[in-house]
Amino acid sequence: MTIDWRFWFVVPMIVALATVVLFPTVYLFWMSTQHWLVTDPDRYFTGLGNFARLFDGADFWQALRVTGAYLTLSTVLMLGLGMGLALTFARAGRGWMRAIVVMPLVIPPVVAGFTWRFLLNGEIGFLGAYLLPMAGLDLNPLAEPRAALFSVVIADVWSRTPFMFLIFLAALQSIPRDYYEAARMDGANPFHEFFFITLPLMKGALFVAILFRLVDAINTFELIYVMTRGGPGRATQILSIFGWRTAFQELDFGRAAALGVVMLVICLIGALLMFRRFVKGDAEART
Amino acid sequence: MLVESQSHLNGALARIGKLQKQLMEREVILKTTARLLTAAAVALTLPVAAQAETEINIVAFAPGFAWADMFGPSGTDKTDKLRAFEEANDITINIEFADEETARQKVLLDLVNETGNYDLVMLGSDGAVQTFSYAGYLEPLDDLLSTATEYFDPGAVYPQFLDANRVDGKLWALPYYSFGAGVIYRKDIFERYGIDTFPATTAELEQALETIKAGLEADGITDVYPLTMRGAPGEEPSLDLNGFVYAYAGYPAWFEGGATTPEQIREAKARPIFTGDFRDGFETFVNWSRDFGPDGIATHTWVDMMNLYGAGQAVVLMPSAINGFAALGGTENEDVSKHTAFAPSPVGPSGKPVQSFWTFSVGVSAFSDNKEDAFKTLAFLTGEQAMQGFAESIGWPYSTFPSITRGEVLTSKWPKEMLDQIEASYEQANPQYFPYIPELNAFMERIGTAASEAISGTKTTDEALAELQTWAEGRLEQGGYYK
Repeated sequence: MTIDWRFWFVVPMIVALATVVLFPTVYLFWMSTQHWLVTDPDRYFTGLGNFARLFDGADFWQALRVTGAYLTLSTVLMLGLGMGLALTFARAGRGWMRAIVVMPLVIPPVVAGFTWRFLLNGEIGFLGAYLLPMAGLDLNPLAEPRAALFSVVIADVWSRTPFMFLIFLAALQSIPRDYYEAARMDGANPFHEFFFITLPLMKGALFVAILFRLVDAINTFELIYVMTRGGPGRATQILSIFGWRTAFQELDFGRAAALGVVMLVICLIGALLMFRRFVKGDAEART
Repeated sequence: MLVESQSHLNGALARIGKLQKQLMEREVILKTTARLLTAAAVALTLPVAAQAETEINIVAFAPGFAWADMFGPSGTDKTDKLRAFEEANDITINIEFADEETARQKVLLDLVNETGNYDLVMLGSDGAVQTFSYAGYLEPLDDLLSTATEYFDPGAVYPQFLDANRVDGKLWALPYYSFGAGVIYRKDIFERYGIDTFPATTAELEQALETIKAGLEADGITDVYPLTMRGAPGEEPSLDLNGFVYAYAGYPAWFEGGATTPEQIREAKARPIFTGDFRDGFETFVNWSRDFGPDGIATHTWVDMMNLYGAGQAVVLMPSAINGFAALGGTENEDVSKHTAFAPSPVGPSGKPVQSFWTFSVGVSAFSDNKEDAFKTLAFLTGEQAMQGFAESIGWPYSTFPSITRGEVLTSKWPKEMLDQIEASYEQANPQYFPYIPELNAFMERIGTAASEAISGTKTTDEALAELQTWAEGRLEQGGYYK
């Protein structure tokens, strides 16, 4: 068998991908099977032992629940707001207004985290210490466990909604105007237009947006770390913060790697489910 | 025919001549290339020979704070003091500053991977020194001490700061910026509510905090809290919280029989006692935080403590008084700067004071290729001259050298009585008020998070401690302590 000479042009990319994607992934899987505690000089193969310890601990399930709540809340809010903004700006709104809407996207999560932390601080923050009490809300947004989770969600929504907005805006602007004109001639009102034209034609964009959101939410770290460090207690400790604690505070690299594998699997399952629901289902419906 | 042969011959001769010329040209090219390469090699070698000095790489945090007298306010400008050391010892020092968390992770990954990229690594006496020394990642310093006495005289240091860095009888790091326990408080507010002297015991202090709380409430003051401490999840609260445990139990109450080393735990098969003797100190820390601290204390770090006190919103800051001194440096609140006083840490029911003892230490990586030069650099960076520079640039009343505490810089800035009390707090301190085990980092992390949970109310004290107990038993099992 001879190899097509053109194959060699692809080789550098394969090598690059293998180096930056394949090798770390394989290494992660290998680490997850090792008894690797910094405090213990013996490093040895432990099979699925790290996974067993991970699933045995209350921490993991607590972090999974918090991640689920964080993901659901932030995704719903982001989708709603992103879609609302996109619908508003698709046909109206000036360039500078769009620029203002998009601005939070360019602010690094660490800076966004610090900003929100100081705004919501219950002792000295503009929102937490003054505005909320004036509105009759007597709670410390970062210290009360549920309020703390909602606070990090709000900060994340503020920071990442512009990304959703851009995806939706691009999708909206690509829908031919004729569809709406035809629907209107048939007596459709704006709700009909939205549910029977806009939404079905934006399935692809929704899929991309939700997929990005899933991965983004599971990997969110800086924002929460800066705002609450996963606290109070473990109230805002999502999987990524739990992984960081396990690796860099508890120095249990094996268990942290097992968590990394679990997070990877969660992302893959989520992506597959959405692919089947949105893309494959759509293709089947067309045929 | 002859003409044809002559023509062939001439052609052949011409080709030979051309070939000869090409060969000569090639030889010239080869020779020139060889000469150029040799010259380049010589050129490259010469500076190396000229710069025979050793390079020592350091990773640290807080540029402009740590070694401002060596690396300038930006952390990147070498001062004359540092250059003089480099020249005298043929050493080039490369320092890499990062934020605290990043620096810690860089140290961890460098040591775990045994790369030796950093010759000197930044450590804390509340976990890193213990964990890394047991793991064999650090070089013991005892034998090296005699090699750089011109820079660091161990006899001239408060012994407690060296003891904090001793594990298994060996010295693993030298202390730089360090502190002991104490209280910073607002004398004017204490006096306003009829308390003229700062309480000497935890029971009296609790009573005083109750009085202040009631007084503030009666006066309608809602934005001033009787107490500020740190309760953020993670290792942050553990340094202070364990000080409470020590003051209440009278010993580092983590394991049965007061075991504090891996050998003692293994020998006695000592189980954790987080639901036992540990409880009283833990509960007091949690209750005081909840009852007298700000609402957000369960997420507060030392920065919040400092800011709150500096803003005049806290009456007492303890037991890591250093954060109060840090607040004094930046406060714009005149009442805070005018009416702040220092008091020794109160004594607990055991008769021992609440502890908070920490050293920002630096150790020599076991994987360094230049351990002796690394140590010499370490001795220079933590020696009396360096600490004098720290006192001059930062001015906090804590130093690792008695000569500096009693020196002109600090005595001209702080009252003698306060400096005496600070010195006394070192003498009363037990730097090893928590067990020195390899898993210390993980335990500190868990204890702090348990406190944060109990303070925030997501768990009761008993629930938090029961979970801590279960985790600790599992961790020791995993570490093979009970085989």
